[in-house]
Amino acid sequence: MSNGDQLPDRTLDILFGPGEEARKTLIRAWLDEGINAMGPSNETAQMTVRDALHKRLEWNNPVLDKLPEAYALLATPSGILPPLGVKNIVEHPAKVAHRACRLANQNASGTSWYTQRAAIAAIYAAAELHQLTSPATATRFLDGLLEANDRASNAASDVLTFGNYIGRSWLAIARSKGLLP
Amino acid sequence: MVKEVFSSVASKYDVMNDAMSMGVHRLWKDEFVSLLKPGSTRVGKVTRCIDVAGGTGDIALRILDYAREKKADRDLVVDLVDINPEMLKEGQKRFRKTMYHGTPQVAFHVGNAQELGQERFPDNTYDIYTIAFGIRNCTDIPAVLREAHRVLKPGGVFACLEFSKVTQPALASMYESYSFSVIPLLGTIMAGDRASYQYLVESIRRFPSQEDFSRMISDAGFEVGEPEDGGAWRNLWGGISAIHTGVKVA
Repeated sequence: MSNGDQLPDRTLDILFGPGEEARKTLIRAWLDEGINAMGPSNETAQMTVRDALHKRLEWNNPVLDKLPEAYALLATPSGILPPLGVKNIVEHPAKVAHRACRLANQNASGTSWYTQRAAIAAIYAAAELHQLTSPATATRFLDGLLEANDRASNAASDVLTFGNYIGRSWLAIARSKGLLP
Repeated sequence: MVKEVFSSVASKYDVMNDAMSMGVHRLWKDEFVSLLKPGSTRVGKVTRCIDVAGGTGDIALRILDYAREKKADRDLVVDLVDINPEMLKEGQKRFRKTMYHGTPQVAFHVGNAQELGQERFPDNTYDIYTIAFGIRNCTDIPAVLREAHRVLKPGGVFACLEFSKVTQPALASMYESYSFSVIPLLGTIMAGDRASYQYLVESIRRFPSQEDFSRMISDAGFEVGEPEDGGAWRNLWGGISAIHTGVKVA
């Protein structure tokens, strides 16, 4: 625009949304940039979920003091109902988790696609919350959570395998006794 | 055809609008102008507005009143353009009852929205371009949008208030039967002219949907919001009418 005049309110309202919507648009754009920044610096490099989440936490570092206000604004509803912008609260860690899984080529299928992303989203959300209060220990906290998650999912699949084995053994016993055909 | 329809309806246009929308068109126009926030609190800054197919001056008057009442702005100017001299005469008659008559704040021009003319309406002149319930009567809508883009300054705002597609299916069928039976009947009773009002109703039906129209605005070079209600357009009364906006960025 010519002669350095500030854009009038009406132009900003139409470009970015009226009132608080404009600030929300800016925050959402920043969050989207954060998702893009999770990618590898080198095209050919292979990433893990851990690397991707670390990069995303790093993205927060320059603006940590402003984040609580930004998230509070996103959670503020635009209309009267619903009383809280739940979609905005839930969407952010979900997008981060999805991007991390894509970057790490985690190609789960079926219900594990959802459970994996839900777990990573929850881990990331907890790590980010931790980062807001204690930035120095955030990455260690994230690593701890990811390890616990791996152990838990290994344990869960071990339980499943063992349970399967027990179940088939009982079936075999029942057949040998003539209780089942 | 368009000229004849509007010559016929000119003198009773506002009364018929009241009957057709049960007075609601006034609310829509109020909201339309409030959205634009015309005027500036900076003394001496001249906000230039052009209201096309402005006819009877509904929007122009609201713009001037908004600037005066909300921003204490008496420098804003509105160029009111219409293809139909009779509609303009109605506008001038209405303005004679207001404080803006005889001031440089309002000027009336006969002109074609599709080709305003470089001489009278040079490039990069206006801060706000409005067209309310007029664009559906233009045969070449992209030409209107191109002209709007031409005459607006960078940072200038394009705003269009128009009847649109009702999105709710139940409301849509009720509205359709209302439009095609009640409105031409009212035209016959109140204005003695069924054909013109039948034309008006059909022109509403032919007009593109909200999304298609916002795409046309974007194709003309405007920056528009997200293609959803609340973004590139704002539905009024379930989509009976809609306000489309765009910004000229360069």
